[in-house]
Amino acid sequence: MTVSTQTVSTIQFPYKRTLGPVMGRFFSELTARRIVGIRSGERVIVPPMEYDPETGNELARDFVEVGPAGTVRSWTWVAEPIASHPLDRPFAFVLIRLDGADTDLVHVLDAGAEDAVHTGMRVAPRWRDEPVGRIDDIVCFVPGERAETPEGEPGEAQEVTTMEYFSTITYTDVLSPTLVRYASNLRAGKLTGQRCPQCNRVFLGRGYCSVDAIRLGPELDEDLPDRGVVSNYTIVTPTPYPGQKETEPFARASVVLEGDEMVIAQQQILDLPVSEIRVGMRVRAEWMPEAERDAAEITSKGWGTVAGFIRGWRPTGEPDEPAEQYMNRVF
Amino acid sequence: MTTRQKAGETRETAVRQDSDIAIVATAQLPAVRRQELTETEMLLMVVDEALGKVDLKRSDIGFSCQGSCDYISGGTFSFVPNLDAMGAWPPIHESHVEMDGAWAMYEAWVRLRHGDIDIAVAMGSGKSSTGDPAAIYPLELDPYYLAPLGLDPVSLAALQARQLIESGKSTERELAEIAARSRRDAAGNPNQQVRTAEQDVDKLLAEGYLRNPLRRSDLPPISDGACAVVLVRGPRAAELTERPAWITGIDHRSEVHNPALRDLTDSASTRLAATRAGGVAGVEVAELMAPFTAQEVILRQSLGLADDVLINPSGGALTGNPLMATGLVRIADAAEAILADGRSRTLGHATSGPALQQNLVCVLEGDNR
Ligand SMILES: [Zn+2]
Repeated sequence: MTVSTQTVSTIQFPYKRTLGPVMGRFFSELTARRIVGIRSGERVIVPPMEYDPETGNELARDFVEVGPAGTVRSWTWVAEPIASHPLDRPFAFVLIRLDGADTDLVHVLDAGAEDAVHTGMRVAPRWRDEPVGRIDDIVCFVPGERAETPEGEPGEAQEVTTMEYFSTITYTDVLSPTLVRYASNLRAGKLTGQRCPQCNRVFLGRGYCSVDAIRLGPELDEDLPDRGVVSNYTIVTPTPYPGQKETEPFARASVVLEGDEMVIAQQQILDLPVSEIRVGMRVRAEWMPEAERDAAEITSKGWGTVAGFIRGWRPTGEPDEPAEQYMNRVF
Repeated sequence: MTTRQKAGETRETAVRQDSDIAIVATAQLPAVRRQELTETEMLLMVVDEALGKVDLKRSDIGFSCQGSCDYISGGTFSFVPNLDAMGAWPPIHESHVEMDGAWAMYEAWVRLRHGDIDIAVAMGSGKSSTGDPAAIYPLELDPYYLAPLGLDPVSLAALQARQLIESGKSTERELAEIAARSRRDAAGNPNQQVRTAEQDVDKLLAEGYLRNPLRRSDLPPISDGACAVVLVRGPRAAELTERPAWITGIDHRSEVHNPALRDLTDSASTRLAATRAGGVAGVEVAELMAPFTAQEVILRQSLGLADDVLINPSGGALTGNPLMATGLVRIADAAEAILADGRSRTLGHATSGPALQQNLVCVLEGDNR
């Protein structure tokens, strides 16, 4: 049976960052449609920094209103914007020297066409309708001297102390030949690994010996038992955070495969209250039904997983191994 | 320190001290668009090859340091499985930097300076193929002012290149000439990825802009790869290889993180690092980590390299750019110019951060016999 040789995964980071007194002031002023810089010696730095970039000394919080218009100092044209760009139509990234500033601001320019953009041109901000205190309260800059401002007067500046930033990255991971074989065997309901000819340890989902640092090829493949012993466990009381789906206390156990040293970590123990899980308990794999087996969790990072193929491990009811045998282990 | 005489004068054989440190072997995987092996497997291969060249075993290694990046590999703590490339049981002395392998080498060099161990290995590895660099790169930038704008690496490089051209320090033709030269050199280097692309300057200039004023030929490829170097302290180095590449100076310097706050047409940190590393006088070969053509001009001008210095004879980052290994590859290639090609003084450079923010310069010398 064959499996796809690549897995696609998306990692998302919902950041909430505190801004501190200097950036906080800049973003607060944006909500009143004002741009401020900070005085550093003879210069006005925009956007403001907490310290002098030349000396590293903390700057006095001497803020100066600048702009809103400015002059383009460099530009490039983005003909085909991608999802992480701020505009969904062709635009220019620009360095802008705002009036009254001595440094440049990176932003985007909505100029319609590439030939409308040149170094030295004058630009002004287009303000967002409902400012929230982020750099994209300025939606973009536009050609000319006059800021594009929504109807009505801006209110008092709101105090902005944090900034949310949501990042999402999608990875397409090509599986190594070892992992392709490993996943194919899992799909067929077989746990397989390679036995190291030097130390006799068996490793699954790696293709090398972690102790001897030698590569282990397909000639060393062998079938492994889908039975084992719980060598360690932890009970997790879930606190809510993005991505946490559990609501009740749950256990994650390490299972040492029968007759070997190979540990499969982070396993579920099925049909047993978490309070009754014991080190030394004998368990057997509960495979997913063949139609539901899925290699999406197999990636080239880490040390191999059985997620998507083995639902969890069920106690066999046989007498426990002595727990003392598993005392000096991390997993 | 060595008794090397000033460049330009007759060079005498230097007297090496116990505290001197040399690169005695290097290995790299060819940069490819998509590598099916895992980072750990790639590292196993380059470490095996580098140690094999000088007949060392992993048990001879006193310290190892790796450079890699979780954001690029797409996994948390991805350096932990990578450590298996060194065989971490029984416990070993090791470290990791979330930077190019060149900075891992810097840490290994510092560790050797303690004087209690003789041999260290530094590595760099990365697989850019798994993600979209344009989406990942903004996460490296200032999170408040720049990341929300999604400023991708090619756009930033274009803003820098335009300032270089409009300030009169370079021309689009010079950039195309750098691309053409890099591609010609890469054609003879099996470790490079872009080996058969167009090499005619006029034809390159006739191509459209990808990000005005940059064309595709001004950009690096997306690459996967790995590199390892073996560092040895004192007389042991000369026992292991005929003509070690002695590190006579190494230094790295950083500038303000927001690229819009500095002069993008100059690299003050590179200049300072080079001065602290002993200067560029007498350098015959410079391997500069310039993933964009304009950055090579900035680096060359900031370093004040003479016209007869051979720049990036490997083909450089423009023709193979395995992020997190690219900088170490530059140093490895500069070392091979001594180890294999008989050069006397070479320079390896690595950069990190947006638009040449942070720069490392390593000056290497071979003894004349
Ligand atoms: Zn082994």
